[in-house]
Amino acid sequence: MVKETYLHDKHVALGAKMIDFGGWHMPVQYSSIIDEHKTVRENVGLFDVSHMGEVFVSGKDATDFLNKIVPQDITKLDYEKAVYCQLPKENGGLIDDLIIYKLGIESYLVICNASRVDEDINWISRNQRGFDVVVDNQSHNYSLLAIQGPKAIDVVRKMGYDIEDQKSFTIKPATIEGIKLLASRTGYTGEDGFELLVENKYAEFLWDKVLEKGAEFGIKPIGLGARDTLRLEAALHLYGNDLDEETTSIEAGLSWSIPKDKVADYNGKEVIMNQVANGGNKKLIGLVMLDRNIARHGYDVYFNGEKTGVITSGCVSPSTGKNIALAYVKNDKEICTGATVQVMIREKLHDAEVVKRPFVQKRNKV
Amino acid sequence: MSFTENILCTKSHEFVLKGEPAIVGLTDYAIEQLGDIVFLELPEVGDEFAKGDTFANIESVKAASEIYMPVSGKVVEVNTALLDAPEALNEDCYENGWLVKIEATDEAEFEDLMTYADYKEELE
Repeated sequence: MVKETYLHDKHVALGAKMIDFGGWHMPVQYSSIIDEHKTVRENVGLFDVSHMGEVFVSGKDATDFLNKIVPQDITKLDYEKAVYCQLPKENGGLIDDLIIYKLGIESYLVICNASRVDEDINWISRNQRGFDVVVDNQSHNYSLLAIQGPKAIDVVRKMGYDIEDQKSFTIKPATIEGIKLLASRTGYTGEDGFELLVENKYAEFLWDKVLEKGAEFGIKPIGLGARDTLRLEAALHLYGNDLDEETTSIEAGLSWSIPKDKVADYNGKEVIMNQVANGGNKKLIGLVMLDRNIARHGYDVYFNGEKTGVITSGCVSPSTGKNIALAYVKNDKEICTGATVQVMIREKLHDAEVVKRPFVQKRNKV
Repeated sequence: MSFTENILCTKSHEFVLKGEPAIVGLTDYAIEQLGDIVFLELPEVGDEFAKGDTFANIESVKAASEIYMPVSGKVVEVNTALLDAPEALNEDCYENGWLVKIEATDEAEFEDLMTYADYKEELE
């Protein structure tokens, strides 16, 4: 049974092309992916990301519990702050990637991927024994609207939100257009922006208000197609493409997110710390194609005439006009920035250059 | 007279306009479904294809697709202008956006194809 968000009828009325995504009937585009992409980079866009999972974790041991299941140090997370986390198994392979927000003393919000909510809850339950903690999956009760782009701040201000000094990667209770919600300064586009978490019953009202108040800033609704090209330019991982149960945080190039001095034990710590020192079996690289061909998910990558790995995400980058991709290759020192590899596209090898990630400079730090 | 009045279409969204040479391309419905076209790979003049063979490849921002020959034939002209500006297909996939011209080799194959009107009806 394909699920619909509370904004489904809005998307259909706006003429969106709808697709099945992770079990949800979602808008892939309203006008054109390239036009929507540029709208977010230049002005501001509105996304329905209500398919994402919201899990509240609270109780006496909430901090210690989360600290056991993610490599990041939750004991160091301040009130109203957010941290990007992964959910590793004992062997380091990833169940999901998450954002954890601290809402209060021993009270957290975990935002997870739509397609992984069931697996996450399953995994969390299996790890719960011995911890005094309540795990409350509220995904079905909340809608999530993302306002993203350099003018996102103008839109929320226009809607009466006094953002004061709200920094990136923080969350605050707010009242916007008379609705009590949680406003977090986060996103998945590489741009500055806000994500508004509201009860389902307010979703349609808030959606209309954002478009109405955002009109003077050129706001447009943005589908999952542009969400994908935006996140890929920013080299943000997509679970299922770039992350899975056979890939560790270190292999995925997420070493920057792993504290090396965390005292507490956590799932996969031994493997992860070993890989911090010695590297993983494979590594994630960024690629720019040297001809017009586009590398797509699943295409093989060759180096010095031998198969070395596989493309996990690839598209045209609307901001640069280049064809960009992420790939996993053997952890070989020679496959470094500036090196040339080949991608097998329709039975022919096409050159690609290894480049630094992200492909487009992020502008989300405020 | 509209271009689509005389074209014949396949279920996989190619069209062919009968003639000497015959003109082959993708329907407006196909282009609309693909979205922003960003890449096109076309065959060479002289290449021969049987009905149903992949003769070209097209990619939108989201996905890659193969394009199949609606009828058997030999390529006599290629719309090379599209190779450097595949996005032009989003504007016009008929008068200026055809893909190849061919010498059809089996007249009978045209009978298996749908008129544009029937094709549109089938889509609904």
